[in-house]
Amino acid sequence: MSQTIYEKYGGFKTISRIVMSFYEMALDSEQIGDHFDEIDMPRLIDHQTKFVSSLVGGPASFSDDRIEAVHRHLNISHDDFDEVGALLTEALTQHGMADADIEIVMDAIESKRSIIVARTAA
Amino acid sequence: MNIHAINEHLLRAIGVGVAVLRASDMTFIFHNGPFAEWFGTPEPGQTLLDILPGLDVKELDDVKQSGLRYSAELQIKPKRRTLIFATAISLANGVEEQLLVVECQNITRIRELESMIDSYSTMVERNTRELEREKERVERLLLNLMPRAVYEEFKTFGVVTPQLYDNVSVVMLDFVGFTDFTAKTDPTVTLSELNDIFTAFDRIVEQFGCERIKTIGDAYLAVSGMPDETPDHATAVAHCAVRFLRYLERRNESHPHKWQARIGLGTGAAVGSVVGIQKYVYDVFGPAVNIASRLQVFANPMNIVAPEEMKYALIDEFQITDLGPTDIKGMGRMELINVTSRLGAPQRTRMF
Repeated sequence: MSQTIYEKYGGFKTISRIVMSFYEMALDSEQIGDHFDEIDMPRLIDHQTKFVSSLVGGPASFSDDRIEAVHRHLNISHDDFDEVGALLTEALTQHGMADADIEIVMDAIESKRSIIVARTAA
Repeated sequence: MNIHAINEHLLRAIGVGVAVLRASDMTFIFHNGPFAEWFGTPEPGQTLLDILPGLDVKELDDVKQSGLRYSAELQIKPKRRTLIFATAISLANGVEEQLLVVECQNITRIRELESMIDSYSTMVERNTRELEREKERVERLLLNLMPRAVYEEFKTFGVVTPQLYDNVSVVMLDFVGFTDFTAKTDPTVTLSELNDIFTAFDRIVEQFGCERIKTIGDAYLAVSGMPDETPDHATAVAHCAVRFLRYLERRNESHPHKWQARIGLGTGAAVGSVVGIQKYVYDVFGPAVNIASRLQVFANPMNIVAPEEMKYALIDEFQITDLGPTDIKGMGRMELINVTSRLGAPQRTRMF
């Protein structure tokens, strides 16, 4: 079996730092911060840990149905989606991930765009 | 700088939020920077409860009465992010009056990390459970292919060393007219019949501590005395054999197809090993297997034939009939016996 990005960067040790950075950035973001305003901290951390782990091939996987179901009512715009990508790129860069690997992660995110962004969004 | 100035300087510099209050009315005498930053600057006349409404009045009274320390966790949410503080309030004796000292530590990051570890360990545990289930499935599958003792060896060393067992008995069963049956019956029916019967055989085999090695089409092969040595291997296979036949007789009474089988027993040496690298098959080879296989062909329908050397092992528990010397293909001339259960024996001896 080939090594996942998750394993390459030292597993949870690194992922936990990335999640922490991403969490702060997401909360501070003017674009998407409001989406997280009403969510309590443990739930949000839980969500982001699973989110980041699964993107890099760690121990979490969401089915597309589940992803779609949890995002359906959030009315997420393309701009919101792009912002998450940008913030995550920043967090990954901060923690020393190579550009090529970041690209793989971004491709993984991009592939979910159609099920995360609200259908009515421009 | 006097000691007071140094104290005050220290209190201002540390990362812990500190405030000092008059115990009598809980108004503020002092607060440091972090305290003001988190909870706002107390206005003159404001009490602790105005600033930190989450505190328990009763507990505060207790602190004043008994001097015991009161610890609580407070949450504030200045902007999106929930901040959590471990707050401790204790009583101190001032020069003129009693004081309350409030310490607040920002434990937000610790709580966040705890949540993350919770979330992560839940994921890992779930994965572990899935792996565990997968492992059990693989194990069950491999246990269908080889005896447990052999599987354990395989698991530990990655290989199975062929092993010679000197005292082994073998039972081999084959159905009469199976080819005809398959030719004129729906394959799924054939399969479900075989499944049904072999499952029953497996139970019988297990009951007598024997080991089913394999089925080849309609042939069924089981052994006793390997991989674990068994002193009564000969009677064990004979018990299986008579029960196989009894089971078929019973089954025939209530099923449309009447199955007839021939059974051969064999005894002697055999080698057991896993054969193959990609496709594992645990198999047995040797004289004991050859004899059982030849005698099964020779046996009449619904009869059990064994070599004469098994006679004295079986004679106490089974009905033995001498068949005399017989030429067996590939084996030469052999003395053979017919084995039946003591119950219902006469009827079957006549059939032979």
